[in-house]
Amino acid sequence: METLNYACVITIENLVHFRRELLLSTMSNTRWEDARDQLRKIREEQIRDGLLVVQLWEDTLCDHIHKLGDEMWVVQEQVAIAALDCSRLDIADECREKLNANFPHSNRVKRLEGMVHEAAGEYEEALKLYSEILKDDPTYTLARKRQIAIYKGQNNIEKAIEMLNDYLKTFMTDFDAWMELCDLYLCKQEYSKACFCMEELIMSNPQNHLFHQKYAEIKYTQGGIENMESARAYFGQAAKLNPNSMRAHLGLLLSSIALSKKDPNNSKYAAWAAQQITDKYQTQETKEQIKETKVLESIQNMLAMLTSGN
Amino acid sequence: MGFHKICVIVGLVALAHAAYSAAQHRAYLRLTEQEFTRLPWDILVQSLASLVLTCYGVVHVAGKFKEICASAELDNKTWDTLSNRQAFYSFNHRGRALYEER
Repeated sequence: METLNYACVITIENLVHFRRELLLSTMSNTRWEDARDQLRKIREEQIRDGLLVVQLWEDTLCDHIHKLGDEMWVVQEQVAIAALDCSRLDIADECREKLNANFPHSNRVKRLEGMVHEAAGEYEEALKLYSEILKDDPTYTLARKRQIAIYKGQNNIEKAIEMLNDYLKTFMTDFDAWMELCDLYLCKQEYSKACFCMEELIMSNPQNHLFHQKYAEIKYTQGGIENMESARAYFGQAAKLNPNSMRAHLGLLLSSIALSKKDPNNSKYAAWAAQQITDKYQTQETKEQIKETKVLESIQNMLAMLTSGN
Repeated sequence: MGFHKICVIVGLVALAHAAYSAAQHRAYLRLTEQEFTRLPWDILVQSLASLVLTCYGVVHVAGKFKEICASAELDNKTWDTLSNRQAFYSFNHRGRALYEER
């Protein structure tokens, strides 16, 4: 068992090394404009890829920072946070000092300082800093969110949930926080409370297929006929909102199969979902790939069992 | 300068010219003491054509339009972006073991 673990560690390290090499080889002659655009895209789409951001910064952008104009400060904040993700405290400190020199009394920079403390594992200092910020400006939500994140980082989920609930009493329209609360409840396997958070989110934006998807998955996990029925309905809605979502179709298939004993109509839904999934595989993959894919085969098996069972 | 910007400029100039022509026409009628019944055809056609031209240009200059379907923007969002919340980042994760410079 120990040798197995050891082997796993080595492969993951190799993977990281491999990814770094790959990034370096593709970026060796990136122009700074491209690097800027890439960082902008990462900011807009909220992708969490610390390694890529740090590499872009070290290889290209850090020598051209003065060319960025006012965007320079946002980029430095972005790079600092990405550096914390990679435990590169040297880069993070460097960026933070530059920001601090330019905005000496800013709460946002102070919060960044707190985050550097967090990444170094100095939670007490970080908490002290955040409560200082909050004394200065009690409406500064970002600092309160950091406090919650600290408890989450320390794996003190109960405390995080308690604080987040307290926070949501005041800031009821903060949907990121609802999402976070949902995930924290999921950590504690409190599915019905997690469902309540998802319901809030669905009401906030009924067009978002991912909310329906997540709600359905929680209901599916809860199990039982009633929950399974609403899971099927929400998987269906997610598939309707985004017809390209494989996850929604697979969910619809599984929940319909689970319900097929109760109502024969569900077999029809299952067959439809299976058809959609098969179509997607056939348009996306080559024939050889399909031969190697076991998914289609297992879907066929499931359907065959369904028809023979009835 | 792009074709569409030229369209906007030409259209606006032509519109202004049509307006000026209309004013000129009224002045001419007053001097010759005739009754005003309606604008001459050429001015009407010019103002309509330049209006259409300006609209066409503006629509293209304004940039890309958003999709009319409200869920279209969300189609590209993946499951991973859903659970990525910047404000709640925690740094107590595998990054410390994997990426640290040694």
